[in-house]
Amino acid sequence: MKLKRYIYTLFLIGGLIISSCSDYLDVPPKNVITNDDVFANSASMTVYLSRMYSQMPYEDFKYSPARQFFDDWLVTPGTNEGSSLGRDAGEAMVSEGWARNGAYWTRAFELLRDANRLIESLPNYSGNFEVAEYNYLMGEGYYTRAIVYYALAKRYGGMPLVTKMLNYPEQPISELEVPRSTEEETWNQVLADFDKAIQLLPPTSSRKGGANKFIALSFKSEAMLYAGSIAKYNKITGFGDKTGVRVIGFDPNTAAAASNKYFTEAYNAAREVINSGKYSLYLNKWSANDKNAQYQNMVDMFFDAGSKENILIKQYSFPDLTHGFDSYNIPRQLMGGNGYSAGNCPTLDFVELFDGINKNADGTIKVFDENGKYILFDNITDIFANAEPRLKANVMLPGSEFKGETIDIRRGIYTGSVAGGINPLRVVNGGAPDYSISGPSNYNQVDAYTAKGNYSTKQLFLSRDGSNHEVVKLPNGSDLNAAGRSGPFTADRTGAFTGFVIRKWQNPNMPQALVLEARSEQHFILMRYAEVLLNAAEAATELMIAGKALPDGANATDLVKDYIGQIRLRAGANAITANEVTSSQDILKMVRKERRKELGFENKILWDIRRWRTQHSDPLNGSTQADGAWYRGLYPFYSTVADAYFFDAGFEEARKRFRIGEQEYYFMIPSGEVAKSPVIDQQPGR
Amino acid sequence: MKKISYILLIGFIAFVSSCEIDNYDWPEETLKGRVIDVATGDPVLTDQGSEGTRIRLRELSWDKTPSPTPFDFWCMKEGVFQNTKVFKGHYNVRIDGAFIPLLRINNSGDTIADETKYIDIKGVTEVEFKVQPFLKLKWVGTPTVNQGKITATFIVERAVSREDFRAKIEPMGNYNENFLNVTDVRLFVSQMPYVGYREWDNRYSVEKGYSGTSFEAELGKPVTITTNGVIPAGRTVFIRAAARINYATEGIKRHNYNETLRVEIPR
Repeated sequence: MKLKRYIYTLFLIGGLIISSCSDYLDVPPKNVITNDDVFANSASMTVYLSRMYSQMPYEDFKYSPARQFFDDWLVTPGTNEGSSLGRDAGEAMVSEGWARNGAYWTRAFELLRDANRLIESLPNYSGNFEVAEYNYLMGEGYYTRAIVYYALAKRYGGMPLVTKMLNYPEQPISELEVPRSTEEETWNQVLADFDKAIQLLPPTSSRKGGANKFIALSFKSEAMLYAGSIAKYNKITGFGDKTGVRVIGFDPNTAAAASNKYFTEAYNAAREVINSGKYSLYLNKWSANDKNAQYQNMVDMFFDAGSKENILIKQYSFPDLTHGFDSYNIPRQLMGGNGYSAGNCPTLDFVELFDGINKNADGTIKVFDENGKYILFDNITDIFANAEPRLKANVMLPGSEFKGETIDIRRGIYTGSVAGGINPLRVVNGGAPDYSISGPSNYNQVDAYTAKGNYSTKQLFLSRDGSNHEVVKLPNGSDLNAAGRSGPFTADRTGAFTGFVIRKWQNPNMPQALVLEARSEQHFILMRYAEVLLNAAEAATELMIAGKALPDGANATDLVKDYIGQIRLRAGANAITANEVTSSQDILKMVRKERRKELGFENKILWDIRRWRTQHSDPLNGSTQADGAWYRGLYPFYSTVADAYFFDAGFEEARKRFRIGEQEYYFMIPSGEVAKSPVIDQQPGR
Repeated sequence: MKKISYILLIGFIAFVSSCEIDNYDWPEETLKGRVIDVATGDPVLTDQGSEGTRIRLRELSWDKTPSPTPFDFWCMKEGVFQNTKVFKGHYNVRIDGAFIPLLRINNSGDTIADETKYIDIKGVTEVEFKVQPFLKLKWVGTPTVNQGKITATFIVERAVSREDFRAKIEPMGNYNENFLNVTDVRLFVSQMPYVGYREWDNRYSVEKGYSGTSFEAELGKPVTITTNGVIPAGRTVFIRAAARINYATEGIKRHNYNETLRVEIPR
């Protein structure tokens, strides 16, 4: 009996051992996708790549410094670079993602892992693909990694160079902790990855929005221009506390050589794009000596998906993938149902960069005559009648036409006498006109409005906001609201509070009923030929300043004059004059100015003024952004007595203060990342 | 019945055992300190905030993380600092301001001088840092008020000689003679006594920029500045003068200051 039980037990144990020796139950789980599934064929790779591309850190309609990537709320490109200001935006960029989403640091590593997995695993599955397709896919892996590290390097300097998949829990923690490398090593990694991508990628993309050789070359030229500028202009450097590695800045002993190397790379990459002949400046509607055609041409180029100027665009399509650019930036009088408007009001400082405007000796717009009285204009549009067509394509000026309407921008109405001319408005208590920052910040404080000083009666009329107007009876008996229908207003910033509204990117054919959040579907141009020309010109100028001949033997001055000349001709700007190209420093100044004019509102200038390290130090209306500085606006007024307009130029009424310290050119590493890691260093000195 | 009392008992034990006292004492040590000009024994006046004198504590006795997270606070405008909520332990105390850096590192990252303090903080611990400020500012006479404008006179002079500055800074690499140039002189006005680079009224404050060595001749001589705009009658404002050289410590070019004066604008 006892034996029987013993035998049974033995059988039972034996049975268990034997049956568990078979692996027929060892099937891969159905709910986990493995490398075998992903790297199987073109179709599966398309899925993998679309996930990668959807995380690509492209600065388009879904990027703003306040909310970082992939967030299209209140997107107003230009408001942090000084080209424009907005009610909800307008300050120097000292960190990123402060409004929500936080720092890019943490997001970047997700895409980086996808890229590393592709680069590491695809070679094991090379048999599944034709050689050309295999190279294309590998190229996209390297391209992605280059773009990610470029986005990181310009924000943080030296980065942990994770070029292999990190496997947890297979690897011990000590192997997974990767310290930050030097900034130079990081830029070299960007360079190496771009070069690999350029070598592998085909000349044309087979998927919309996918990478190709020329896209990689163009972004390489932009990234290398960044690296070269940092090596040359950056002054802050230091060593990490934990590792002693120079995590920001370049070694002063090798910085000059590094900067020349990067500028050479930038130049060569840009020239290869230009020499390919694949792209050209958009000239479909352009016509010599026809400013209207030139203007229309520059408007259309942002909407023509077939433009030869486009190197890479980010496409949108309702209802799958949309943004809200029109909704946030529309002039007040055309406001859509969500109630946003004029989120992006260009500064007078930006407008003054353009040609065809009557200016004072210091480059500011001429609004006073030689006696210090306002110049009167019969029509509100007269002051910009001869302005460069590119300005009109960038900015809605007072009286511009848009969607069949006249954009009605007027700060107020002046009913005083015009005999002997109208005196400057910014006067308080009968004092001298005060256009300094201590002067009146709003027109409701000036004597003409408050009836003080030299004004015995109120002679200036303003509107409180879009629905509360002071109404003036005109000599012809009709009534007129003090402010225009698109502002600016005294007490809210829903109007054109600098006197201008952005024109670039606004869809001229969108019915007002559709001007809603998440309804716009125009594409964003991430890279266009004009920028490549500007990259080549800037790199050539920097090499000339460094005393280096251009690698392909071209004459730097001639080349810069050619490229800038092409851009100016297309824009309808003045031709290059001799004193713009007297010295190489003059040429650099000219190239930089052209960049600001051509690429404003395209999320490029913000990074340019950072890499030039000029944002904190450039004089700005009597101050610098290191101390805090302000931009200016241009305010149109209508004189009922003269039946004419005059313009008051001065600090804008919102008094948005821009302030950036030199050390803020590098963003802080998220403090949680520094605290939890034994190797990740915070920026030195912070 | 017995079962129920068991359950109750288990519940009670769990309840009681979770009442354990937090294993860490309050941070109740005090660190007090002064920043003194080594040459004169005067306190080194500063701005309040990130452009002023920064005190950085690193608790070296902390071993729960690989390296201690720096704990920063800022000096008061009189050149003294105090923190009454510090954990007991062994610390490195480092200060950075408008004076020769105490921790000097050369181009290859090697420490060439370390004058920071390594101390145990327990009870009330006092430290005194003797530093060499870049500049010294002194009032001359009493500021006068006329029509809402304040006119003040002060002297800006070097507190560290060119030679001393060079001897200490040059080994750090990339030395440039123009580090010593005075780049700007200011008269800050504010309605708060904490007037300085972080707290000034831009309507009245004055900045005078100097390029190259153009201020060199003015060093040691009285500088007179009249404020901008018109300060309304009856207001009380606070003023102080500041100047800085073309040299950044920890990435920031910091000002040296004189003491704050209270000025009443008569009615």
